Amino acid sequence: MLLNRSIAFMMKPIDPRVNRLPGFGQGSIQPKAPLDQLGTYEVFVQAKEGKPFQHEGIVHASDIELAYILAKETFTRRFTCVSLYVTETRDVYVSPLTDGQTSSYELLPPATAGNGPTEAYEVYHLVKRGKQHVHVGEVMASSPQEAMHSAKEKFGAGKVVYNVWVIRKSNIRYTNEADKDLWLTLPEKKYRDAADYKAGDKLTAFLERVKHSV
Amino acid sequence: MYGGGNTFEGIKTDSLAQEDPQKLAEFEARIARGEKIEPTDWMPELYRKQLVRMIEQHAHSEIIGALPEGTWITRAPGFKRKLSLMAKVQDEVGHAQLLYSAAETLGKSREQMIDDLITGKSKYSNIFNYPAFTWADSCFISWLVDAGAIVNQLANAKGSYGPYCRALDRICAEESFHLKYGHHCVIYLASGTEKQRQMFQEALNRWWPPMMHFFGPSDKISAHTEVLMRWKVKMSTNDDQRNQFLDMYVPKIWELGFTIPDPNLKKNPETGRWDYTEPDWEEFKRVINGDGPCNKERLEVRRVAEERGQWVREALKSPSLRYVTPLA
Ligand SMILES: [Fe+2]
Ligand SMILES: [Fe+2]
Ligand SMILES: [Fe+2]
Repeated sequence: MLLNRSIAFMMKPIDPRVNRLPGFGQGSIQPKAPLDQLGTYEVFVQAKEGKPFQHEGIVHASDIELAYILAKETFTRRFTCVSLYVTETRDVYVSPLTDGQTSSYELLPPATAGNGPTEAYEVYHLVKRGKQHVHVGEVMASSPQEAMHSAKEKFGAGKVVYNVWVIRKSNIRYTNEADKDLWLTLPEKKYRDAADYKAGDKLTAFLERVKHSV
Repeated sequence: MYGGGNTFEGIKTDSLAQEDPQKLAEFEARIARGEKIEPTDWMPELYRKQLVRMIEQHAHSEIIGALPEGTWITRAPGFKRKLSLMAKVQDEVGHAQLLYSAAETLGKSREQMIDDLITGKSKYSNIFNYPAFTWADSCFISWLVDAGAIVNQLANAKGSYGPYCRALDRICAEESFHLKYGHHCVIYLASGTEKQRQMFQEALNRWWPPMMHFFGPSDKISAHTEVLMRWKVKMSTNDDQRNQFLDMYVPKIWELGFTIPDPNLKKNPETGRWDYTEPDWEEFKRVINGDGPCNKERLEVRRVAEERGQWVREALKSPSLRYVTPLA
């Protein structure tokens, strides 16, 4: 307690790296320029070959390539990962969120036939509230609304789905062959793993030593 | 890392009277059933406000918490320790990203949160307003401050807000390495030379009072939180979390032959809880309100970072970019 008192008036940083920061202790604190936080991108990760992709969260980025890199840094530093992809948040089409025994598919607005070309869409389901959206497959459609209805036919029968997302595949930045080596060294990075910090022997030896020295 | 409930201000429940009673009842029933609330579900304004405040403070704590340890990366003893500490600090900054995203789903932009951090409008965990003088201070943080954070985060992961719980599940999985790494460092100091033992003992003496502050003011003096407990925003009281931490870690500290600088610290056989000298809550208040040894330095480092990064953000700006509230 006393020690904390006496240091309470120390103002100069003890770390040379902080002291060397250009502009440290100068400038005044002002709000940042508005809207310089870039756009938001949704991140989907595949943990293992053959397992479905799953929504993991978002990153902020200036474009989809940077979003992809930041997604790799934020969501795949640990655990196995074989693939990930990103898309702008505004390119994800979302159905109403439901609960209980009501499936989100029952609340879709009537289908409007798009007049665009037929395109492929990725389809995601939320089947357990509180969990992540999980990939179920793809459909072909000429509009996101139509994609929702195609998804209902193809994947919606006989189950309660609380929320459906469809994403036009052309809006997604996928992992390509050349990217795959991003995760090759993941298993070597043991220092990120709790199991790499075994100190039991050292502790036992220490306790033994203490016992005998008494 | 994070310490919960670090305010004395009461919460104003007046706004609850304006909520639709039927929707409120359904909302509470959903939480009582153990279901999660998702961003597009109906929620009372008070719930939204409290969650934004809590998740935002948690995010700031991760990013500010990376500073005292971050400055030890270049001076960590040996290549292996540097590698581990670097990975840990990267994790903490990553935790901040996950938490800012979870708070954003409630409608406050990340930019606004960072502004509020720099201008001092929103708080972060008080413990990071103290300096890490030696390598042993850094080891204390890695082991015991993270241990405190884990007690808090494991509790909050069972809360009611879906995006926050999912972020915490991810975070808790990563924290297990921080804890083991920190313990490993301390065991090495403890079984090392007299000088090393002394260095850790001194760090322990310095950090114990802020560590006792970590879980927030004692239940006797902190504001009423029944509604937050009912809504599973707050999962256990400050004193319960403090007690749980003492239960788990005091024996481990004693085992290494260190002394804890509180003559009254002992487990009370009758209550089954720890007795201790009441922490100095006046000091806690003073430090949290800006008058601690490192408050200015911590915010100044963030301010300089924002200032120096501004041209990069300017250069990256593009007319087609649009900020959209994240989905889940
Ligand atoms: Fe943490
Ligand atoms: Fe963390
Ligand atoms: Fe941590």
